[in-house]
Amino acid sequence: MKKIFALIALMLMIFSAADAAVQPVTDKAGVMKTVEIATLNEKIRNIEHAHKIKIGVEFVKSTGGRDIAVASRELLEKNFSNSQNGSIVLLVDMNQRKYEMDTNPTMRERITDSDGVPFLKDKFQAALSAGDYVGAVDNFVDGVDELMTHYETNGVPYGARAPGAFDPMAAAVAVVIALFLGVTIRSWLIGSMSNIRHALEATDYLKRDTVKFTERRDTFLFMNVKRRPKGGSNRGGSGSGHGGGSGHGGGGGSF
Amino acid sequence: MADSSVSYKCPNCGAPLSFLPGKKTVTCEYCGTEFEVSAIEELFRDKQELAVHAAEAQEAKWATDEAGSDWSGEEAKALHAFTCSSCGAELVCDENTMATECVYCGNPTMIPKRFDGMLKPDFVIPFKKTKADAVAALKEFYKGHMLLPSNFTANNRVEAIQPMYVPFWLFDSKISAQAEFRGSKIRSYDVGNEVVTETRIYNCRRAGNMSFERIPVDGSKRIDDAYMDSIEPFDYSEMVEFSAAYFTGYLADKYDVTAEACAPRADKRVETSAAQVLQSSVEGYDMVQTENIAVKKDVGKVSYAMVPVWILTTRYQDKPYTFMMNGQTGKVVGSLPYDTTKALLYPALCSLVLMPVLYFLIRSLM
Repeated sequence: MKKIFALIALMLMIFSAADAAVQPVTDKAGVMKTVEIATLNEKIRNIEHAHKIKIGVEFVKSTGGRDIAVASRELLEKNFSNSQNGSIVLLVDMNQRKYEMDTNPTMRERITDSDGVPFLKDKFQAALSAGDYVGAVDNFVDGVDELMTHYETNGVPYGARAPGAFDPMAAAVAVVIALFLGVTIRSWLIGSMSNIRHALEATDYLKRDTVKFTERRDTFLFMNVKRRPKGGSNRGGSGSGHGGGSGHGGGGGSF
Repeated sequence: MADSSVSYKCPNCGAPLSFLPGKKTVTCEYCGTEFEVSAIEELFRDKQELAVHAAEAQEAKWATDEAGSDWSGEEAKALHAFTCSSCGAELVCDENTMATECVYCGNPTMIPKRFDGMLKPDFVIPFKKTKADAVAALKEFYKGHMLLPSNFTANNRVEAIQPMYVPFWLFDSKISAQAEFRGSKIRSYDVGNEVVTETRIYNCRRAGNMSFERIPVDGSKRIDDAYMDSIEPFDYSEMVEFSAAYFTGYLADKYDVTAEACAPRADKRVETSAAQVLQSSVEGYDMVQTENIAVKKDVGKVSYAMVPVWILTTRYQDKPYTFMMNGQTGKVVGSLPYDTTKALLYPALCSLVLMPVLYFLIRSLM
């Protein structure tokens, strides 16, 4: 029995050690100081704890030829997937000067591709371009905090309207369509006051049994081919899509 | 002086004869005697000839005494005087009136001189609908028009109701038609991250023969073509060989637009229908457009018929409104006035009701 308890305790220690080894911020590109990373880690842990989420940030020299969207998703699934209210990662490729955010399905409901991800980009992209990497991560984390607070306060993600809230765009469209329908109904009602019409055809007087076709010939002339990119699940941001059927969201760009 | 018009009087009692709608005989409404149409024709043929001569004589006299001096040529053409054979009153008609009734004694009167120098109608469609039917049909016609002014129906009184035989040309044509259509077949499919749309264009030639029978075109200038187009169709199975006896008790006009002048209207209708027939055989395409069509008339035959029309006139706010009813089928056509307030109010109410519905619908979609 003692052996079993010892084995369980050993396994728990191994798992907790492995978990503890994954820090929110990983700098494989050497762009931040250790103390800065520690400060950011502490801040992120507080936010993670407050919102029951996982946040990951990783700076790499290169993604090794892999698509940055794929790499960011793998990073999330490997190290940050175990969360109650969702996970988000920010992967920065210093060689390519590209960055990519990835959100798991739970987080995607809170930080939407259409509004949340662009909001985050606006938060940190300027600092990233300026070479202020610590500031960029700090702003990114603040942005996530704000978006999560917004969701928890309003019950809807940033950019979405609360249920029952007035939507001026929908109202404007409804007014235009209603007015158009009103004008159409008026024209129809006025038109119905008269049934005077010139006869334009003589189908009533056609003797159907006399119709005999003497020629029916269809000749292929030419073919037009048009190609357009597939529509469908467009995601915000300028990065390549990694939503697909996985339910992941996010977005990226260059700096 | 012989009468220049012929009254169709009952040989039994001398009362005016009328052709009653729905009957195949001419009936005396006073003594109830019924006469076969052929018998009446026979009976009054001599009288008509006499009346023709009398009218010619009278016309010649009128022409020499009056036309040369006081009357302009147009006026002389348009106005003609006849004496009622019943009461002797002078009837003034225009140049196209073939049958009328005396405004003084109500006697149905034929003006046989007007049959001269013109084609005799081949057919006539007898009246089936009565005056009461026409009034009832007009009232029915008012119903269901939301914009009709309330006081139009409340204070409405039919000012005049006239039954009239209107001259129509009936065009039979056997045609051969050729047409070219452009057919498009559209196919879309995905290749990788692209949607590919292929549009295959075909030239579709069709040719064929077909016949149209008795396309009606009215031959009267006085009656609006659109009204006459609108009272179609007629049931030609009830059309009978022409007899002037059917005119008794009705107004009748002779044609003043020749068949040649009316033919383009019939041709246009034939061309449109021929194109529709040919196009209906262009199948299996997502889109079909007519490129060109040529219709050649192989055989064209025209017959002349008189068709029954009730003309009803009413007045609203000093403006006359004319309605016409197909005297055979009872179909009423016309233009009703509309209440401008209702024309604004009802659509506005609809818009107001639709606005919130649309708002919630759009919001749920956005």
